[in-house]
Formats: sequence, C-alpha cells, structure tokens
Amino acid sequence: MKSIVLLSLLGVTSMFAGVFNYRKLILPIILIGIAAAIGLFVDQWGMNKSFYQMAFFDNYAIAFSCLLLSVSFLIFTLALYHYRKEGDIVTDLYALFIFALTGGLLMTSFSNLVMLFLGIEILSIPLYVLAGSRRADLASNEAALKYFLMGAFATGFLLFGIALVYGASGTFDLAGIAAYVKAGKDIPDFFYVGIVLLIVALLFKVSAAPFHFWAPDVYQGSPVLVTTFMSTVVKIAAFAAFLRLFNYCFTPLASYYEIILTAAAVATLLIGNVTALYQQSVKRMLAYSGISHAGYLLIALVVMGASATSVVFFYSAAYAAASLVAFAVLTAVMENKEGRESFETFKGLAKNNPILALCMSVAMLSLAGIPPLAGFFGKYFLFATAIKDGYLWLVLVAIFNSLISLYYYLRVIINMYSSADDEVPAFTPNYALVLMLLLSLGANLALGFYPDLLMGLLG
Amino acid sequence: MQSVNYIPIVLQLLVAGGFVTLAMTLTHVWGPKRKSAEKLENFECGIESQGNARMPFSIKYFLTAILFVLFDVEVIFLYPWAVNFKELGLFGFVEMLVFIAFLLLGFLYIIKKGALKWE
Repeated sequence: MKSIVLLSLLGVTSMFAGVFNYRKLILPIILIGIAAAIGLFVDQWGMNKSFYQMAFFDNYAIAFSCLLLSVSFLIFTLALYHYRKEGDIVTDLYALFIFALTGGLLMTSFSNLVMLFLGIEILSIPLYVLAGSRRADLASNEAALKYFLMGAFATGFLLFGIALVYGASGTFDLAGIAAYVKAGKDIPDFFYVGIVLLIVALLFKVSAAPFHFWAPDVYQGSPVLVTTFMSTVVKIAAFAAFLRLFNYCFTPLASYYEIILTAAAVATLLIGNVTALYQQSVKRMLAYSGISHAGYLLIALVVMGASATSVVFFYSAAYAAASLVAFAVLTAVMENKEGRESFETFKGLAKNNPILALCMSVAMLSLAGIPPLAGFFGKYFLFATAIKDGYLWLVLVAIFNSLISLYYYLRVIINMYSSADDEVPAFTPNYALVLMLLLSLGANLALGFYPDLLMGLLG
Repeated sequence: MQSVNYIPIVLQLLVAGGFVTLAMTLTHVWGPKRKSAEKLENFECGIESQGNARMPFSIKYFLTAILFVLFDVEVIFLYPWAVNFKELGLFGFVEMLVFIAFLLLGFLYIIKKGALKWE
C-alpha cells in the first residue's frame, strides 16, 4: 500500500513540475520513485498484508506489481530519449503515465470488486488522454476518441457484471464471493450472466477477439511511447486482474465459462496472427502481435489452477522484455525517418546501425519463440502446463499459430538486413536509449538462460 | 437455480410508461392551443435570438464551465460525509481533509496553468 501512496504522490509531483519549473529534475525523481516503490513492495514479500479488506498484498500481487513497475521504469528511460525535444506538455504526460500505473497496481492487488473497478478506471482514464496527446495529429485524436468510446462501453459491461454478481452473492468482497460459489446452493441464473459480462469487459481490456477491434487503430494512432505502455503495462495489468478474479472466485464454476474462454483464445490467436500477416506498418503489426500474445495468455487462463499464475507471470515478463526492445528500436527508427513506420523504413538498418538491428532481431525472435530466448520458455511452460491438463488440441492450435507468426516477425529482420532504397541519415547515439535497450535485452537473455529466476517465484 | 419473481418490476415499468403516455395524451387533448408568432419563438422573453444554434463559441466558456462542473461534483461528496460526521469520527475528518487537500492541489494546478485567465 505504501508504494501505491508513494506513486500517487509522485504523480502529483510530476504534475506540478511544469508549473513550478523543476522540469529538468522530474525524470530522475520519477525513476528513483519507481525504484523505491519496487523496494517497498519487495520488502512486503510473503507478509500477505490486507488493507481494510480492499486490497490484499499476497505474493501474486507483489510479483505482478513489481513487474509492472520495472516495465514502467524502462518505459520512463525510453521517455528520456523519446521526449527529449518536447516542451511544456511532457511533465503532464509523465503524471498521466504514473496515474495509469497506479491504477495498474490496484488491478493486481484488489480484494474487492469495487477496487477492481476503481483500478481499471484509474488505469483507463489517463490513457484516453495519453492516446490523444499528440494534439495536432488527426490519427492521435481518432485513437483517443475510439479508445474512450469503446472503453466506456467495456466499463458499462464491467459494472453490469459486478452488479449481477453482487445481486446474487450479496457481497463485493472476493473472499465472500468465493465462499458463496463454493457453497454452491441456489446460484441464480443471473450470477452466470454476471460472470459472462465480467469476461466481456476483461476480454476487451486485454484486447482479445472478438473485442479486439479497437486495438490496432488505437495502437497505431497513439504516440509510440503510449503504444509501448499500452501493449505492455496495460495488457499485463489486465491479465493480472483477470487471473486474480477468476482464480480466486469462480474456479468451481469453470465448466460453465471454460467454453467461452477457449473460443476466445482460439479466435484471438487466429485473428491476431492472420491479420498481422498483411500489415504494412510495423507499429500495427506489433499491435496484432500483441493481440495474438493475448491469445496465448488466454490459454493459460483456460488451464488455470495454481500453476497458471506462474506461467502467466513468466509469459508476461518475457513478452514485455521483448516488446520493450521492439518498441524502443521502432521509436529510434521512426524518429530517424520522420515518423514513417512501414516495413520498408527498416531497410538498411543493419548497415546503418548494426546494434539496433541486432537488438530488433533478438526481440523479434523472442516474440516468435525461438530458443534460447525468453519468449521460447514462456511458450514452453505454457504448452507444457496445457498438455498436462489435457488440452492437447489447444496446444496444437497454438503451435500452428506460432508458425504463422514466424512470417511477420522474420519479415522485419529480412527488411533490416536488405539494402536501403534511399540515403539513410545517420543515428545520433543517445545514452538513455542505449541504457534502456541494454536493460531490456539483458532481462530477455536472463529469462532465457535462467527461467527459474521467475518461474519459482509464485510456486 | 431459483425462479425469481419479476412481476413487480414489469408492473413498475407499466406504471412508469403508462403515466408518461397518459400525462402527455391528456395535455395534448385538454390543453389550450394558442398559435401566434410569439408562442412559436424559442424563447418567449429576453433578447431576440439570432442565427443558428450550431455556431462556434469561445473555448474559454467551455473550459470554465467544465472546471466548474468538476469542482461542483466533488463538493457533492461532502454531503454524505457531513450527514455521517459523528459516526465517522476523527478518521473520517482526516480522510476528508486529505480529499480536500487533493482537490485544492488540483485547483492550484489549474490556476498555475492559467486555465482561468480570461485574456
């Protein structure tokens, strides 16, 4: 709880940085603050502290919170590079990022449906603004409006779901609902409707099919840093909330909603991967790749049980590490080529800047799941658990989709290592970008070579 | 599975819908009808309206209005607190102080940002 309070204050501090003129100091303050928040969380490890029955900081919450904070730390390092020429507005954007992150932390640690709702709202509302933060850009405005309208709808579904679950069980408390489900007598029909509505809202937040339509447009229209945040922090927070809620409350009823999750997982995998094949923009391709990874994680949700938590945790960490590198390189390339983002802009990168090209190759291979990178072990643990629980056909579908995904990941690499059509301006080296790439690449390789680092954490 | 009795809700719907239909029909049937040029105006008194309603207006009005609504809505949270002031005790008082402090920070922010400057 202390770190959530700390982060809220950090957000306010950042908000005032613009008006009280300590603009230059704010990024170091934010980075130190986030590191301190991680420290405070690690300090709480294993203590299982409850906060007025509203938030419960078990190891699950702490692990996911630390993951979200670390990813945000890297995103702020990237911000140091990306926003270095930006003027006044930057401190407000930082404040919004931090507020969204605070919402994400609540989504990992809630023990009451009201807190889940608050967390999702605190996460979403700053994001609507951030998506439109390039005010002169029409695509950015479109992204903000689309995201807002769709998000408001999803919130409506969430509230309906919560209301119906409350109507049947008479409590918002997760433990109370779990006890009600376990007792299992006279569960009215509308309780099941409530569960389905909750699934709809959460599938929207993780951008899974058939509620994925907003994702490509919003990811493409938003500024690239915001896209990075959305495809890593927001996705992980939404999955953490999804898994926590269903694992805690509804597992005895799994046979009722399993079919929905399975269908959503298969549809998400197929739609994400097949649509990614014919994208022209790398940013949009990464959006569809994010959708397909949501499909893999949904398989973990179907399998569920105690083993699913560590699989989901590892998979999200591996996915985030690879995505961060991919988006960092994309940021650098887009900046060098006046904001263009098609596959062709990557041509000649290997000659112009071999290190960036190498980083991007590692990220793409990790996302595709090539050993010995982190992405491979994420998929390996996921498939192994699923087979053990008797979902062989689901694993076969997933492996088939991994094969499809190789095409568009390798397409980036092929473009990078072919010669450029036009003169390419040289890159100006930047220490923040280098640091960020080193850290995320290091995380990727560390997870690949020592997967036990994170696998053992959640038992 | 238990069967839930929804008939009261249906009755409520019927009564609500029926009242609206009844009231509107009756006023149309019994109400006096005077159709003069003045009666058909949008606003019967005040300054004569000019042009179309869909005209651009200064964004400043909008910003001030939305900030007013924002703070006005926040103040509503004071009412339930004031009603339960005794039960909530010192804890509730401190909580409300924190809430007001954050509200004031927001106010300070918009003043410093110059959102309320008219020129």
